[in-house]
Amino acid sequence: MGLTVENLTKRFGEKTAIHHLNFVMEEPGVFGLLGTNGAGKTTTIRSILGIMQPDEGKALWNGKKITRDTLAFGYLPEERGIYMKAKVLEQLIYFGMLRGMKKAEAKQSAQELMEQLQVTEYQNMQAEKLSKGNQQKIQLIAAIIHRPQLIFLDEPFSGLDPVNAVVLRNLVKKLVKEGKYIILSTHQMETVEEYCKNLVILDRGKTLLSGTLKDIKRAYGRSNLIVSAEKDVRDIARQEGLEVFEERAAETEYKIQSEEMACRFLKHMLAEEIYPLKFQIMEPSLQEIFVKKAGESR
Amino acid sequence: MKQMLIVFVYTLKEGIRKKAFWISTIIIMAAVLLLCAVPRVFTAFTGEKSTEKADHEKKGTCYLLDEVGIFQQNLEMFQELYPELDFQIAENENLETLKQEIKEKEDDSLIYIEKTDGQPVVHVVNANFMKGISAKNTAAVCDQIMQSQSLRELGVGEQQIKVIQTPLSYTEEYAGEMDITGYILGVFMTIVMFFAVYYYGNGVAMSVAAEKTSRVMETLIVSAKPSRILAGKCLGMGVVGLLQLGGLLVFGGLCYKYLLPNDVQLGGIQLSGISVSAGTVILLLVYFILGYALYAVLNSVCGAAVSRIEDLNAALLPVSIVAILGFYLGYFTSIAGGGSSTLTALALYLPISSPFAVPFKLLTGEIEPVQIGVSLAVLAVTIVVAAVIASKIYSISVMHYGKPLKLKDMKKMK
Repeated sequence: MGLTVENLTKRFGEKTAIHHLNFVMEEPGVFGLLGTNGAGKTTTIRSILGIMQPDEGKALWNGKKITRDTLAFGYLPEERGIYMKAKVLEQLIYFGMLRGMKKAEAKQSAQELMEQLQVTEYQNMQAEKLSKGNQQKIQLIAAIIHRPQLIFLDEPFSGLDPVNAVVLRNLVKKLVKEGKYIILSTHQMETVEEYCKNLVILDRGKTLLSGTLKDIKRAYGRSNLIVSAEKDVRDIARQEGLEVFEERAAETEYKIQSEEMACRFLKHMLAEEIYPLKFQIMEPSLQEIFVKKAGESR
Repeated sequence: MKQMLIVFVYTLKEGIRKKAFWISTIIIMAAVLLLCAVPRVFTAFTGEKSTEKADHEKKGTCYLLDEVGIFQQNLEMFQELYPELDFQIAENENLETLKQEIKEKEDDSLIYIEKTDGQPVVHVVNANFMKGISAKNTAAVCDQIMQSQSLRELGVGEQQIKVIQTPLSYTEEYAGEMDITGYILGVFMTIVMFFAVYYYGNGVAMSVAAEKTSRVMETLIVSAKPSRILAGKCLGMGVVGLLQLGGLLVFGGLCYKYLLPNDVQLGGIQLSGISVSAGTVILLLVYFILGYALYAVLNSVCGAAVSRIEDLNAALLPVSIVAILGFYLGYFTSIAGGGSSTLTALALYLPISSPFAVPFKLLTGEIEPVQIGVSLAVLAVTIVVAAVIASKIYSISVMHYGKPLKLKDMKKMK
């Protein structure tokens, strides 16, 4: 059971958009497909779904080739598009019926999802009268109206305000609870850290990193220290050989070579009668890992 | 099939709901109503006025300035030709003064007959080319007066002169089935057919381009095969067109029957009393559907080829040229009656021109059933081939954004 992508390769003339991509998603949850703009995320999704024919390799769902006729997958494209002049509910019913639903089923499903995404009040309005965020929600409903088992979300959070982002996050969590397999394509690393157990990081079509989030981070060790204190401790940190990685408004992140180094720094602070508000030894962020790996590959 | 039906129903519903559909329908209906109502209103008013005028007043005055002297003695003959004018012998013999007078009073005219080299020459002066009397008809009356004068001088009696000058009665018949009203209807239907096929075909291109450029296509294409989307869309738009065109023709027919006066003429051609057989109507319908289908599939490819709606007109240019060539080939060989028999046959059988050439021939009865059969078969086969090719190009191009696709790029793409 699950999604298997084997040796997937897609070329456009001389340019190779995806180089021999491999990954497996064996359990329900969220799988992260990460990369910068132009990394090949959308092409990967289109090739998996058969919208584009891959030059090599294959994508299988439960051991069978994925086609729109054999699997009712859900797909939220990166480029948003709905019928602007058509009424919201009517076009959702249309998309549902195209996915094999009966009219009444499509209507009921659309209304349930609209309620969950808090857009019920717009059901009889033309889509052009909705805000961009609400249009995006409608498109998400169009993608999952037929309650698919396998869902592809291409940059679902881009353009959403924080309130709507929370609404969407809650829906994703609900879908995961329902046992759905979600492929989440994004370049927002924080989103992936929040959701994804497994991920693939792409850079110009090549796989930079692949595996579970835990394993990837563990491989880099606990090399970051975040400190927040009432007094400036940067001099003490310098004396202890810590290197400032990033300064933020209320805290400073340091690079440490070992956890002992962090303990020495803490002892020094306490000796100076400076008590930290926050002292956290942690693994590097996915963002940091990605930037480092992308830099190495270039 | 089910998906095609869903796309068809949705396209049809959306097409009928569009404001443009209703606005264009209402405008055309208003124009048809006006065209049929105006002759009736005009006839009603002019009918009353002409009776009144005949009894009480003349429309204007026609002055006769006769240097020869024999024409002013036959003033009643001119009066018979133009009963609405009051014929008077010009008292003022100054030509320029008379011309100035006619210029000021637009309904007045002048017949000036001078003698040049012993022969009378007739000059007619009207206020402008839209007003006044016909020089040709006036000269004919003068001819008649001259002949009578000559015959009198030769001693021919008045009774014999009358017999000589009585025009021969004649009739005109056509061995073929084409008559002038059929011709007019044929011209009308050919033009309607071209605009309908062209307009609704363009609608398909616009609809496809709008779906592609608004990125709805990406949502659609994962739900249904492009060929099914294309077929459903073309059918939906076609039925929208058929409903509008059919509605307008029925409305036009009703206006024609109940509003147009019975004796109305256009340029001497009787416009009332035109009737078309049910078989011809069905064939016209078939040619509209097939003509539309051909141009719709070609236009859909153009719509799918563009990434921006602004580029659509440029993309449509090749199909527009083909359609216009087809129309003119049909027009030239049928309506204008030009070209050799080979060219005429070509226009009837060539799929790009047959939807425009055959309707005229159907309405004028100048086509054999075998020719219709061959023409329909060629058109149908072409549509199938075009649809298969268009569907493949459409599938490739709807997901391609950026530079327009070239044929060699399409060959490379799977």
